[in-house]
Amino acid sequence: MPTLDLEKIKKEVIDSQLWRSVFRGGVWKDTPRDRAGHIIGNVWLHLHPVKVRPRALKWAYTWGMGGISFALYLLLTLTGVALMFYYRPTIGLAYRDIKDLEFAVTLGMFLRNAHRWAAQAMVVAVIAHMVRVFLTGAYKKPREFNWGIGVLLLTLTLFLSFTGYLLPWDQLAIWAVTVGTNMAGATPVLGNEGPLGALVGMRINNDVRFTLLGGTMVGENTLLRFYVMHCVAVPLVVGILLILHFWRIRKDSFSAAPYEANEAKVDVWPHLVKREYIAAAGTTLFIMIWSILQNAPLEAIANPNVTTNPSKAPWYFVGLQELLVYFDPWIAGVVMPGLIVVGLIAIPYIDTNPKGVGYYAWKERPFANTLFMLGVVMWFALIYIGYALRGPNYAWYWPWESWYMNKPAPPATWSVFGPKGVGAYSMLIGIPLMGAITAAWMLLPKLIQKELDGKKTMGAFLGLLALWAGVGMAMGKMDLVQSGYLLSLVGASFYYGFVLPQRHIRTLDWPRYLVTMVLVVSTMSVLLKMCANLAFNIKYVLTIPAISMNI
Amino acid sequence: MSYRKAFIVSNALLLAAFFWAFGKDFFAPWRPYQAKYYKMAAESLDKKAADEKDEKKAALFKAEARKMRGSPMEIKQIISGDLGRFDRCVTCHVGMDEYTNPTLKNEFTENPYKSHPKVDSALVKAHPFTKFGCTSCHSGQGLATSVEAAHGWVKHWEKPMLKGVHIQGSCVKCHGDFETLKGAEVAAQGKKLFNKHGCQGCHAINGWGGVVSVELGDIADKPFERIAGYNFKKIRFDGKELPNDHHHTEWNLQNWILAHLINDPASVTPNDPFAHYNAEPIPPSGMPDFTKELTRADADAITAYLSGQTKEEVIPYRYHVAGKAPVESSLTGAAHGKYVYTKYGCQGCHGLDAKQGRRRFNAAGEGQVEYDEKMPEAEQLAQMNLGAEPTLPKLVGTYTHDELVHKLEVGVAATEAKKWKDAGPMPMVYMPAWKGKISKRELNDLAIWLRSIAEKDESGF
Repeated sequence: MPTLDLEKIKKEVIDSQLWRSVFRGGVWKDTPRDRAGHIIGNVWLHLHPVKVRPRALKWAYTWGMGGISFALYLLLTLTGVALMFYYRPTIGLAYRDIKDLEFAVTLGMFLRNAHRWAAQAMVVAVIAHMVRVFLTGAYKKPREFNWGIGVLLLTLTLFLSFTGYLLPWDQLAIWAVTVGTNMAGATPVLGNEGPLGALVGMRINNDVRFTLLGGTMVGENTLLRFYVMHCVAVPLVVGILLILHFWRIRKDSFSAAPYEANEAKVDVWPHLVKREYIAAAGTTLFIMIWSILQNAPLEAIANPNVTTNPSKAPWYFVGLQELLVYFDPWIAGVVMPGLIVVGLIAIPYIDTNPKGVGYYAWKERPFANTLFMLGVVMWFALIYIGYALRGPNYAWYWPWESWYMNKPAPPATWSVFGPKGVGAYSMLIGIPLMGAITAAWMLLPKLIQKELDGKKTMGAFLGLLALWAGVGMAMGKMDLVQSGYLLSLVGASFYYGFVLPQRHIRTLDWPRYLVTMVLVVSTMSVLLKMCANLAFNIKYVLTIPAISMNI
Repeated sequence: MSYRKAFIVSNALLLAAFFWAFGKDFFAPWRPYQAKYYKMAAESLDKKAADEKDEKKAALFKAEARKMRGSPMEIKQIISGDLGRFDRCVTCHVGMDEYTNPTLKNEFTENPYKSHPKVDSALVKAHPFTKFGCTSCHSGQGLATSVEAAHGWVKHWEKPMLKGVHIQGSCVKCHGDFETLKGAEVAAQGKKLFNKHGCQGCHAINGWGGVVSVELGDIADKPFERIAGYNFKKIRFDGKELPNDHHHTEWNLQNWILAHLINDPASVTPNDPFAHYNAEPIPPSGMPDFTKELTRADADAITAYLSGQTKEEVIPYRYHVAGKAPVESSLTGAAHGKYVYTKYGCQGCHGLDAKQGRRRFNAAGEGQVEYDEKMPEAEQLAQMNLGAEPTLPKLVGTYTHDELVHKLEVGVAATEAKKWKDAGPMPMVYMPAWKGKISKRELNDLAIWLRSIAEKDESGF
């Protein structure tokens, strides 16, 4: 009885003309040459280097988030293309097609769920990737440019998710997109409701919002525009930027840490590839199980005549929507997000601290890490407030309060400088005073040469605030809640916006220092305005109706 | 765990997750119902074949049973292009599918297996399922293929299946002649009651009626977003709150309409008469309390009638059946005036036969004590509720005939009302100007009748 010689069969198969025509290389002998050939000889793998530093492989260092983001992008492309076979972007058919996907198409519901959840997960993964890269200082020279591309990719990820939000054409979709795009109408100069917009001839039917919507309200044209942007235009740009991003990672080398003596590299095949595979497989598994257990939301068919109450933007923009409570749309929807994007791109060029490259170094980079993480925490805290604590009429509802409970209308607000404000002469006094305060705040930390004692300075400032609160309470003009807001929010902005910069960046050269302070002061202005609004019902600090500008 | 193991395990898990997803999709909720139907139908045919003496017929039954057993599981649907409907109801209700069950009859008694009742009736004959689909009459979510979703008992489906007599509202959608239509008796009764109690005095339907409150010609399209909210928590059915779920099966438009007829509307929509939540006080619903005049059956009838008032559903004109043109009354004088009083819904505010004016919140009126700042809110509320529309016999005696006709023509603005509490809300209801809505002859006779029932002043002055 002849025995089955597996090794012989394997050799014959591999040496066959057919096999050799498809796969380069002969029988696998696991030599370094084989492993290198595997990377070089494979079009999909050869964006990798052949060898990589072992420290770049550690999960605790990478969190695997870059790879996971890309895995989600691929997953989204796959499910998205599948969904495109069933979806027609017209207002008469879109909603029905989604219903068909849910109820009649084989695996339709699963595909839609997977696409939806993977999109949400990708937003989280990309943000986590950015946080990781920041905390390990991996954006520093020579990786400044790649960090910038990363920031653009983050923005495009949000935009991809946002354009996809409209496509089901349900109430959730049109009102979220209405909230989102209305902010565009408040763009300074380019939007019809933004400062200076009316001056340069912006109307509702020719401004930037009109361009985005293809109309004056969310409608058929918007659906088509968003569909094309979502399925073709934006993925194309993302793809191009991804190639750049990956290419620069390879060229600038994996792991930013300085080389140690006698540091040996390891083969990418199998050490990196196997990790990538596990990360991708785990991600796919996670999305699949999530999609099996939880269905994507679908509300009633879109109806432009029926506004949902409350109407909320997609969750990742709810933080900006929450800012609308405190700021006018042109600040909350345009200036703030603009500053975030520009500020993030600027970080590698203003951060001159040579330490903390390639490892977690909170103590060596106290200022950068603290301020960056403060921004991240604020971003998510605002999202939580907007998403979970805002009910009908955008009133504040605690999680234990029923939305069926009627809430009193918010108390009347007032402006500090403006037509109805206490200081009537906004142009004459308001602008110079505001300018002086901002300038002093921006300049003082650098002008005070000697490093301040953090504890003493904070103690003195909090003492002053407590004195203010005490006097206010004694006069019966303030209550405990107001005092709490005052001490926490104003105290925090003084610490993060004044004490920290004074202690850590006053030695920076002027241009870098000023750019940093613009970003710091803008961030703190959010906390200050929240305090002014929540505790003292101040709507605007300064209003100039002539150019429809309110701060 | 080594990477080799992780590789194997993750691949196995991915494969398992795929089968899980596919299985969940494959074993869809409709499948067991369809399978059971085929099984039941085949068994029934087998029994028929066994009982049949004629061998040829028995063989036919057997062949039919084989066909049933071999039928593929599939989503079935009725496409009614004219009415824009894609109804997959017959996926489970196979007995109502003409292709599987051409006679549309079977002996099953249980849903979803049983056939449609009364398939031989003129009603069903006139509305073949293949042309009208299911949801044209029954409402519900025709595209859905799971039990809760298909019947519309889910979040975000605005038109759940109509229950009980409310389905007669669907007749009203096309049949202008529904008042004389066999099978639409409840809806016809609803319209009668609607007009008898004077609803049309405030609520016009398709432009016909008063303008005091909302037009009801498209009330069946009222979006849920507009009727839900915290007000739904305030309605009571037999003294009980509806289940506490935003979009439960019970939270639908029919119950919202019913709620206004079997509850005091002011308790359904209490609003904010003391300005606790708003800058200005807002009076409760101005709709009168009909609980003493209407039984539950009456309220259901009115609800059925109103359930057919839709403009959203695009129904081609060739599906419509015109009603009879309204007939001018042959009455004259006071008798005609009394008829006119009811025709235009004056009784909606001034009471049946003008006997007693209905509630007018915060209007100054009889039986109220003087407003006092220190009065507790509950007491104030009771006093405001005593405000009433004029009881006409007490009022019209002071007018000459011409003055009365003029008054009817121009109406009384809400701002002219004398309030009980000056800082309280403006009384909601008012007397609209009827000029142009009521003809000159009708107004004339109405004034004659009103003056004929005026209380005579017998004091000697």
